[in-house]
Formats: sequence, C-alpha cells, structure tokens
Amino acid sequence: MMHIPPALQPGDTIALVCPAGYMAPERAQTCIETLRSWGYAVQVGKTMNSHSANYFSGSDEERLADLQQALDNPAIKAILCGRGGYGLSRIVDKIDFTAFEKNPKWVIGFSDITILHAHIYTNYKTASLHAPMAGAFNEGGAEGAHVASLRAAMEGRKTRYSCAVHPFNRTGQATAPLVGGNLSLLAHLCGTTSEIKTKGRILFLEDVGEYLYNVDRMLYQLKRNGRLDKLAGLVIGGFTEMKDTTRPFGQTVQEIIRDIVQQYDYPVCYEFPVSHGGDNYALKHGMEYTLSVEVERVTLEE
Amino acid sequence: MKRKHFLSSLLTLGAGATLPVLGAPRRQTVQGPKVVKPVPSRVPDYLSTGDTIGITCPAGFITLMEIEPAIQQIESWGFKIKIGDTVGKKDFSFGGTDAERAADLQQMIDDPNLKAILCARGGYGAVRIVDRLDLSGLSNYPKWVIGFSDITVLLCHIHRNLNMAAIHSKMCNSFPDDWSKAEPVQIDSILSIRQALTGQPIQYPTCIHEKNKTGVGEGLLVGGNLKTIETLSGTRSDIDTVGKILFVEDTGEYLYSIDRMFWNLERTGKLGGLQGLIVGGFKIKPDDPGEEFGRTLYDIVLERVRAYNFPVAFDFPVGHQKNNYALKYGMSHRLTVTTENVTLEDHI
Repeated sequence: MMHIPPALQPGDTIALVCPAGYMAPERAQTCIETLRSWGYAVQVGKTMNSHSANYFSGSDEERLADLQQALDNPAIKAILCGRGGYGLSRIVDKIDFTAFEKNPKWVIGFSDITILHAHIYTNYKTASLHAPMAGAFNEGGAEGAHVASLRAAMEGRKTRYSCAVHPFNRTGQATAPLVGGNLSLLAHLCGTTSEIKTKGRILFLEDVGEYLYNVDRMLYQLKRNGRLDKLAGLVIGGFTEMKDTTRPFGQTVQEIIRDIVQQYDYPVCYEFPVSHGGDNYALKHGMEYTLSVEVERVTLEE
Repeated sequence: MKRKHFLSSLLTLGAGATLPVLGAPRRQTVQGPKVVKPVPSRVPDYLSTGDTIGITCPAGFITLMEIEPAIQQIESWGFKIKIGDTVGKKDFSFGGTDAERAADLQQMIDDPNLKAILCARGGYGAVRIVDRLDLSGLSNYPKWVIGFSDITVLLCHIHRNLNMAAIHSKMCNSFPDDWSKAEPVQIDSILSIRQALTGQPIQYPTCIHEKNKTGVGEGLLVGGNLKTIETLSGTRSDIDTVGKILFVEDTGEYLYSIDRMFWNLERTGKLGGLQGLIVGGFKIKPDDPGEEFGRTLYDIVLERVRAYNFPVAFDFPVGHQKNNYALKYGMSHRLTVTTENVTLEDHI
C-alpha cells in the first residue's frame, strides 16, 4: 500500500533545500515569492544560501543536515528542491527517514532528485512529486502551465495530461503505478538499494545532454536488469540536447527506444511533456495513473 | 611456462575435485568455513609459435587496412591470424549489425583451432550482443579474449560466468603504422600483449605517486573501463570484487560523473571487500563554466576509500593512452605499494 503525503493546506510550510548542485540565492527569489503569494509559508534552508565555493551547495554534511531537518520537522508539509545537478548519490544512504515515515510529506524535484524519488518509493513506499524546481519559476515560469501543475499536484488536485501523437506510439491502455525519472540516474541506481522495481508499472523516462550511444547503453542496462520486459506502459519524455559521436550513431533516441521495446506489447508514447527542456508537468511518482495511447490522442490521468 | 600452466591445470582440477562433496547425503553436510580467497580462475593455454589468433569487431567498425599493422606485427611474433567476417563491415558506428557481430564472435568462440580472440577495437556495442553469446565453446576450447574499453563488457561477462582468465590490453587500432617511429612506451605496451599471451611475466613501469596508499593485497585482478562497469551493474555480467584487486580507467568523463561512478562502486558493494585498487589513466572532460567540481580525481578516490585499508596505486599504466600495458584479467596477482615502489606480480 502506497503512503500518500497529505495535500497542502493554506498556511502550510514548504521547505526549500538544495541537496545536490549549487544554486545562486537570487535564482530562488521568484519561487519563494510565488509560493508565498499562493498562501504558503516558506522555510528557506541553509543550502539555499550556501557559501560553497565548489560544485555542491554545501558539504555532504551540510546538504544532508538541511534535507534531514526538513524531513524531520513536522511543521513542514513539502520539500521543494532548488535544483538538481549532482550530489544525492553521496548522501542518500545517510538520510534518516524515521520521522518521514511517521509524517510523510511531498518531496519535490527531478533530474538528480530522481534518486530521492526512487529511494523513497522502493524503501518507504511513499509517493513523491517529479516536478519543476525553484529555478523553473524564473523567466516567466511562475505564471506558466508547468509550475501551475506543480501547485495543483501539491494541493491534491488530480491531474490529467495529454500530448501529441507520435508515429512510433504503440496503442493500448494501462492503469498502474507511475515510476521513473531521469534515465542516467535510473541506470546509475541499478544494483543499489535505491533501485526501482518496474514490473507491472508505468515507467517514464527523460534525459538531457547525453550521447546517443550512451542512451542506448543505459537502456540496455535497464533491459538486462529486467526493468523493461514486464512494464504496464512506457512514457518517453523529452531527450533534449542529445549529442553524437564523430562516427554517427545512426538512430534518433526515439528509434533507439522503438527498437529496444519492439518485442514487448505494452503501450508506449513518445515526446511526453516531462523533460529538461521546459516542458515538464508534475507527475506523482508512485501513484496510480491510467495511460491511454490511442491513434488520435494520448492521455495520462491520475 | 609449461610448469606454470601445469600448476594452473592442477588448481583447476583441485577445485573440481571438491565438487563430489555436494553429492554427499544432506544430513551429513556440515557447513565448512567460508572460502575467503576466490577460486583461482581457469587459464587458457598460453600461445606457442604457429597458434592462430582471430580478429573480430564486437563493437565499433574498422577496415581491413586499419588492422594491417596489427596483422603484420602479430605474424612477426610467429602467430597466424584469422580475420573475422566483421572486419570491414559497417552498420553506422558498429562493425556490422548486432546479428553479424554476434555470429562472428560466436564462431570464434566455438572454433577449437583458435587460441585467442583479439577484438579489433572498442567504441560501443558489445553489450548489445553479449546476451546472445553461448560461452560453452569458450569453456570447451579455452582461449584468450583480448581487448579493453567497451570490451570490458566481455571481460566482465567471461569472468562472472566462466571465471576464465582474459587479457585487458590495447587492440588492433593501437598498433603503430610505422614501428620505427613509435614511442618506446607504445612499443612496450604492444609487446606486453605478446608477453601476456605467451605466459611471460610483465614488468609494469613503476607508478610511484604521492597520493598512493601503501600496503599489500592479493587476489584475482578484475576491472576495466569504469563507465562500462557501472552500466553492467545489476546485470548478469556484473562482477563481484570481494577479495579481489580492482583496476579502473576511463576517458571523456566529467569529474562529477567519475565521482558518481565511484559512488556506484561503493553502493553496489564493489569497494568494501577489495584487496587493492589500481587507478589507471583518466582523461577528464573539463568542467563546464560555473560547474567547477572542486575535487581532483585523487580527491574523489581517496575520499571514497578513506574507510578502507587496502593499498591504492594511482597513475598505473592502463587506460586510453600510449602506456597501456596488458593485464591478465581474472588471474591471481599481488599488488605491493610502498612509498618507493609499486609492483603488480602475476606469478605468485
């Protein structure tokens, strides 16, 4: 049975933390102001104003402590990550989820935060939010549909998304828990205690800035781990800023995926608006969705 | 060399001889002490003059002309060459389709007359065919599989599933066109393949480094390309490293990615039980502006192994570089790291 954190109520407190890469404090201002304008109190974690001179938004100890206090504080109802980057692999095994298990709350983010979603889902059977982070509120994002979808999800409204049809789509319908995230990180988690079992679930994948051959290799890793063969459905998001080698790989990402899932018969859709490219709707990780891939339309409904 | 091989055969027989114990009545079976040292690997016959080596392309494509220098050099060592069907084949970046690459490698695995299979080059592609391979031919007619980089897939897969020795070394694409103009270290690296194939000890150039961690470790030597090892995690080609000496190298990766891969080693249990760690060459991709990682490769490794006591040797001559000496993969080695010297011996 999945644990579902309670929906946010007016006046609730949202913690902002940065458990991975460094984020300049001014990049979070619009997000903080917007959350307040929605009627929430905002607790700005120490890692949001880090004096770190390197890649991370603080030492492992500092990032862990900031995330830990947000998880432990019963007054905090949601934890929104400032940004991704890299860093959760270094601290995930040190996080204490005892208080979180008693008082589950929404953990929100994507990209490197995929590690938290996977870890929480696998070990604590708790839903979380794969969604835009603080940086996405900038450059007009706060008024956009993607940030609006984050708000709707936090407030417990059920979401229904549709996307354009793609010639490689495979039609069908499935109702199952939705899991997934960034492909590089899902591959990186294989063989660890944070890895997600995908059997009977709808898997969604997105990635950014990878070489095509490496996307192929990571999909083979998932396949060889048995993570692609018994899916209820597959949702392929954006694979943005893909790179190629001097000797061209010869296939697009969509062609790579089409070939690797050719032997299975579950529904597959492509170019779903979950990505690093701006199109990034909030998805409740671990919650049940209905994926419907038809010739004329594609919907993903909670 | 014959003596060494004889000894290896005895060890293999010895391991086999314990098997009938499994057939003993269950109620009499007493749990013995846990085996600490890994079972010695199976060692294919070392090569003699006149033996044949097959050349195949399980990953990236290469032309016949490009492997000519390798053919000439290897023939000058007194070996014959069998050129596989995939040499000269091309399917975009691959040396033929998956089916063609798998078939070429399979027929070489099954060929009782081949004593070694040299992969022409790396690139990418071995993981796409590895599950199609039937290794029983390799078991029936043991032979050396040779390569590195993407070929790490095959080396790990063979170690995991057959516990058979192999050779981690340069491939055809690294043989110099003009031997007379090649650098000494390049020549030494190429000649070390011959030494490995004929069972001679290899003298590795000393790699004293101020960051080395001193100590002595003994165990089977395993490892390869770090990224490739990560992408094998959880699969049936994934290696167990407990009680072994692990070597890693990589090219073209960001520092943050190298850090993440060392965390993968840690989180998949590949660091805790090591006898030793050998860090080869790492060609590091420069940080993007504003994304400075702030840690060197040495910092990354030392931070990860701080809790452990096994020896660590940096800048070992293995990797995507000219000084890339042959390593006898899956065979028993002793790594000795002192402040004055670093030695890796396989004849122990």
